[in-house]
Amino acid sequence: MSLNAVVMESAHVHEEDMARFIIDATKEVFSTMMVMEVEDCYPMVEPVNTFHCSITGMVGLAGSYTGILSIHCPALLAIKITSNMLGMEVEEVGEDVNDALGEIANMLGGHVKQVLSKGGLDLNLSIPTVISGETYTVSSLANHDCVVIPFQYDGERFLVGLTIRKESNF
Amino acid sequence: MSNILIVDDSSTMRKIISRSLRQAGLAVDNIYEAADGIEGLNALGTSPVDLILSDINMPNMDGLEFVKQARAQGCKAPIMMITTEGGEDIIGEAINNGATGSIRKPFTPDQLQEKLGGLI
Repeated sequence: MSLNAVVMESAHVHEEDMARFIIDATKEVFSTMMVMEVEDCYPMVEPVNTFHCSITGMVGLAGSYTGILSIHCPALLAIKITSNMLGMEVEEVGEDVNDALGEIANMLGGHVKQVLSKGGLDLNLSIPTVISGETYTVSSLANHDCVVIPFQYDGERFLVGLTIRKESNF
Repeated sequence: MSNILIVDDSSTMRKIISRSLRQAGLAVDNIYEAADGIEGLNALGTSPVDLILSDINMPNMDGLEFVKQARAQGCKAPIMMITTEGGEDIIGEAINNGATGSIRKPFTPDQLQEKLGGLI
């Protein structure tokens, strides 16, 4: 479960640097927007692609690179995150929780974009997509080009992943 | 007191910006919301606004096009881009289209106060 060397060489960063960047960005987003201090548990020991009672927020990157930045979060933690984000009690998974997870993915995608594209015009972010369910599996056709970072908050774990490929025509 | 238009496709982010404006102690009277550039332009046609806060990455009409069309319609209010997009070129394009400046997500109420205090 690692990032392709071509991607990292093109972006002038090492995989561990990219992982550290995602860790710092995630901690900043959670601390600033939710007043939640999360702990990273990098590196990931065992790959995970099946989730139970969870919500996944994703944003796509397209242009000089193609890929997906995703956050996978247990439903109860997602409710807690959304409550902190909005400053009000949220009781169940619904529009607010979905929107919050999408917005977190969007903010993290913006951070990654800044590493991969200093100018910003050669790489586009998609509108976020959110999926949720009792049991679902997330599969990538390029599993070897990804880095996944586990985080912990209050005894619950969530994952932030980046799957990416360099496009040769840029 | 000021009327502020928030243009962002995320309802969560619109709520956060509204709350942060009040936490920052800014002189806010009415806050209008729009979910994309098209709704933003429609809002400008019906409500007088003193400040516009707009996302860039939105469906239907993005923030870059919204700024361009708002200026073309004669909107004189300052327009601050609140966005995850921190690249120099994309912010430069927003400024060229008529934006006043930018605020990077995530942000704190203090950062909003610092950036917006002189505008309203």
